[in-house]
Amino acid sequence: MHATALPLALVPATLFALLVLSLISVPLPWSVSWPWIPVLGVDFALYVDGLSAQFLLLITGIGTLVAVYGAGYLAGDARRWRVFALLLLFMLAMIGAVCSDHLLLLFLFWELTSVLSFLLVGFDHARESSRKSAQQALLITGTGGLFLLAGSILLAEIGGSYSLRQLIAAAPAMTDDARLPAALTLLFVGAFSKSAQFPFHFWLPNAMAAPTPVSAYLHSATLVKLGVYLLARLDAAFSDLLFWEYSLVGIGTLTAVIAAVQTVRERDLKRILAWSTVATLGTLTMLVGLPGHGAALAVAALFFAHALYKAPLFFVAGNLDHGAGTRDIDRLTGMRRHLPWTATAALLAALSMAGLPLSFGFVAKDAMTLAKVEAGVFALVSHATLFVGSISVAVAAVAAIHIFWGRDNVGRDAHPHEAPVTMLLPPLLLVALAVLFGLQPTLVDPLLGVAAQAMAPGFDPLQVDSSYDAWPVAEASLATFGFGLLIYLGWDRLRTLLDRARELDEIGPESWYWRKLKFVPKLAAWLTRRLQHGVLPGYLLTLAGAVTLALLAALLVGRPSLELPSAETLPLPVVGSALLIATGALATLLVRDHLVLLLVSGLVGYGSALLFLFTGAPDLAFTQFAVETVFVVVAATVLRRLRQLPPPLQVAVSEARWRPLALAVSIALGSVLSTLLLLAAAQPFDPQLSDFFSAQSVPAAHGRNVVNVIIVDFRALDTLGEIAVVALALVAALPLLKLSRRRSS
Amino acid sequence: MSPRALLAEVLLRILHPVLLLASLWILLRGHNEPGGGFVGGLLAVAASAAMALTLTTAEARQRLPLPPPRLTALGVLIALLSGLPGVFAGQPFLTHLWVTVPLAVTELPLSTVMLFDLGVYLAVWGAVGGYCLSLLATVEEQQ
Repeated sequence: MHATALPLALVPATLFALLVLSLISVPLPWSVSWPWIPVLGVDFALYVDGLSAQFLLLITGIGTLVAVYGAGYLAGDARRWRVFALLLLFMLAMIGAVCSDHLLLLFLFWELTSVLSFLLVGFDHARESSRKSAQQALLITGTGGLFLLAGSILLAEIGGSYSLRQLIAAAPAMTDDARLPAALTLLFVGAFSKSAQFPFHFWLPNAMAAPTPVSAYLHSATLVKLGVYLLARLDAAFSDLLFWEYSLVGIGTLTAVIAAVQTVRERDLKRILAWSTVATLGTLTMLVGLPGHGAALAVAALFFAHALYKAPLFFVAGNLDHGAGTRDIDRLTGMRRHLPWTATAALLAALSMAGLPLSFGFVAKDAMTLAKVEAGVFALVSHATLFVGSISVAVAAVAAIHIFWGRDNVGRDAHPHEAPVTMLLPPLLLVALAVLFGLQPTLVDPLLGVAAQAMAPGFDPLQVDSSYDAWPVAEASLATFGFGLLIYLGWDRLRTLLDRARELDEIGPESWYWRKLKFVPKLAAWLTRRLQHGVLPGYLLTLAGAVTLALLAALLVGRPSLELPSAETLPLPVVGSALLIATGALATLLVRDHLVLLLVSGLVGYGSALLFLFTGAPDLAFTQFAVETVFVVVAATVLRRLRQLPPPLQVAVSEARWRPLALAVSIALGSVLSTLLLLAAAQPFDPQLSDFFSAQSVPAAHGRNVVNVIIVDFRALDTLGEIAVVALALVAALPLLKLSRRRSS
Repeated sequence: MSPRALLAEVLLRILHPVLLLASLWILLRGHNEPGGGFVGGLLAVAASAAMALTLTTAEARQRLPLPPPRLTALGVLIALLSGLPGVFAGQPFLTHLWVTVPLAVTELPLSTVMLFDLGVYLAVWGAVGGYCLSLLATVEEQQ
C-alpha cells in the first residue's frame, strides 16, 4: 500500500506555513477588499482578526494532518482523488467563510461548505444510508443557510450595512429596532442548523457515514464550528441583549444535555464521538451567550482544545476500523497489545477531553468554570454543564481505557494490526501539542487573547489572571471527574436503562424530519395525478380555462370602459379572408372525421395568412403559409399513426362526458378574447416602435425589409435563443420518436 | 407498400432541387424583400417532406446535406459565430458588420447578417425537417 496522495498534503501545509509566518510578521487585523458586484454594493471584502486567525490556523493545520491521514486511510482506494479534491475545495470554502467581512460573501462560502459536505458525506454513494445521511445534512444545513441569508438581509436593513465590522460598530444603535429579534432569530436558525444545535442536532451523528478523515475534519474541527463562529463573531455586537443571552444559553445547554444523554446510547465509537461533539458545540453556544470577558476567553480556549483532542480521537476510531475491522465498543477491548501507538494517542487525547490537570483540556475547563462564575449563571445551567462534563469524562474513559485496556477477547480469525505511519503521526502530533500547551499554557496565550479580544472588544488578558480563584475550579473538576467515573462504571446499565425509553424518539425532531421527508414524494405524486392525468380533453380544458381566467383578470384589472372601434368600410379582400376564417371555424364544429377536420381547420390558418397578405404584412403571410403547410403534414402523419395503434389505446376517453364543460369554457374563452381584441383595437395605435424601426432599418442595418431586419439584426439575440429552442425541441423529440418506432416493430 | 404515385414521383425528382433553390433565393432576398431564414427554412422543410411523402423518408434523408441533428447544430453554431466579429471589433455581441466587395460593373455588399440568417435557415431545416422525417418514418414502417 502506497500513500500516493501524500504530496497533496503540501497544499494545506504551505498555507499553514504562510499563515504562521504572516501572523508573526504582520500585526492583526488584516483587511482587503475588491469591488465584486458594484451595482448591488457587494464587495469581495476579507477581514482577519484574532478569531478568524484562530480558525485559519485550525483549518489549515488540521487540514494538513487530515490530508496526511487520509493519504494512508484511503491508500489504494480508487476514489481517493475525489475525496482529496473535495477536501481541498472544502478547505478553501472554509477559509473564505471565516475571512468574509461581507454578510453575503459569508453566505456564499457558507452554502459552499454545505454542498461540499453533502458530497463528502455521500462519498460512499452506493450505500443507501450514506445517501440518506448526505441528503439530510444538505437539507438541514442548506435550508439553514437560507435562513441565514434572510437574517443577513434583515440585519443589513436595520444596520445599514452588509459589512460585519460596520454592523458590530453600529450595534448599540440597532438594539432599539423592533425588527432585531426577528433578524437574530433567523440568524440563529442558520447558525444552529450548521452547528447541530437542538432541534437540528440529529444530522451530525448521521453524517458519520463519511470516511473517517472527513469526519475528523468537517464534523469535528471545522464545518460544524462555523455556526458557533458566526455567533462568536456577532457576540461583540449583541452580547448585552437579554434575548441574545437567554436564547444562546438556553438552546446551547439543552443541546449539550440531549447530546450527552444520546452519547451513552451508542455503540459505534464514531457516533459516540459525534454526539460528544454535539455536546461540545452546545457548550460553546452556551458560552458565547454568556456575558463577560471570561466567557470570550473560554470560547477561544474550548475551540482550540476541542480541535486538539477530538480530531485525534476520530483518527483513533479510524485506526481501529482499519486495524481491527470494527468500531463497536462492545467488541473492542484490550487493543493496546495490537495497536500500541494508537493506544498512546487515545490515552493522551482522553486526558485532554476529560480535562485532567496538565492537559490543555484542563486549561479550557478552567476558563469555562471561571466564565460561569463571572457571568453568574443559573443553577440549572451550572448543573447541566456539570452533567455534560461528566459524560465527557466517561466518553474519554471509554475511548482510552475500555477499548485499549482490559482483557483481550479478539477471536483467532481476526488479526488486529497497527495502522501505517501516515495514520499514526497526525493523532500523535496533535496530542503532543495538547500536552505541550497543557504544561505551558502561556505558549497559546497570545493566540487565545486576540481571539477573545475579537469577541469582547474590551478584553484584557491580565485582568482575568488577576481575578483567578482556584476553589470553584477545583470543585467543578473534582465533581465532573467523580461523576464521570461513576457513569463509566455504570455505562452498560445506563445504556439498557436509556434503551427502554426508546418511545421518546418518536416525538423527537429526527422522527419529525423523516415523516416530513416522506410527505414530499406523496405530495408530488398527488400533484402529478391531479395535473398529469393523461386525459387530453382534461389538459385542453385546464389550459383554456387558465387562459380564460388570466385574460378575464387582465380585462377587469385594466380599463373596463367599453369603447368599440369606429366602424370603417373594409376592402373586399380583407372581408373575403375573414369569411374564409369564419367558414373554417364553423366547419370544424360540424365535421367528425379527423382527417377532414384537420383540412378544414387548415382553412383558418390559410385565411389568416391571406388576411396578413392584404393588410400589409407579406412576411407574416409568407411564414404563415409555410407553417400551415408543414403543420398539416405533421398533424396528418400523427393522425395516421394514431389509427395504427392497437384498439385499447385508440379510444381512451369518452368524449361525451367532457362536452358540456368544454362548451362552457369555449364560449367563455371566445367571448373574453373577442372583447379584449375589440377593446385593444379601439385604443389609438402607438407608432413609436414601428416608426423607430422603419426609420432605422436602412441606415442602421442596411435592409429595407423591416421585419427581417428586426429578426436578424435589431433583435438577433432573441432569434438566436429561438433557434436554440427549436434545436432543443428536436433533441427532445428524436428519442421519443425512435422509441415509438422500436415499440411498434 | 402503398400504391405509387408515379407522376408525382417523377415530378418531384425534378421539383425538389428547384424548391431548394427557391428556398435559398427566399433566404437571400429576405433582407430587402419578404423572405428570410425562417421562411426559407420552412420551404426547405416542405421540399423534404414532399420527398418523403411521395417517395420514402430514407430518400428524403439522403438528400439532406447533413443528418438532421448535425444540420441543426451547424445552423445554431453559424448563427452564434456570426455574432463574434462584432465582439472583436469592440462592439456588443451580434452587432453585424458590413463590407462592400467591388465587382466589375456593380458592387456586392456582404455582411455577417447573411451568415446569421443562413444559421437560422439551417437550424429550422434541420430541426423541423428532422422531426417531420422521423415522424413520417414511424408511419412508413407500419405499411
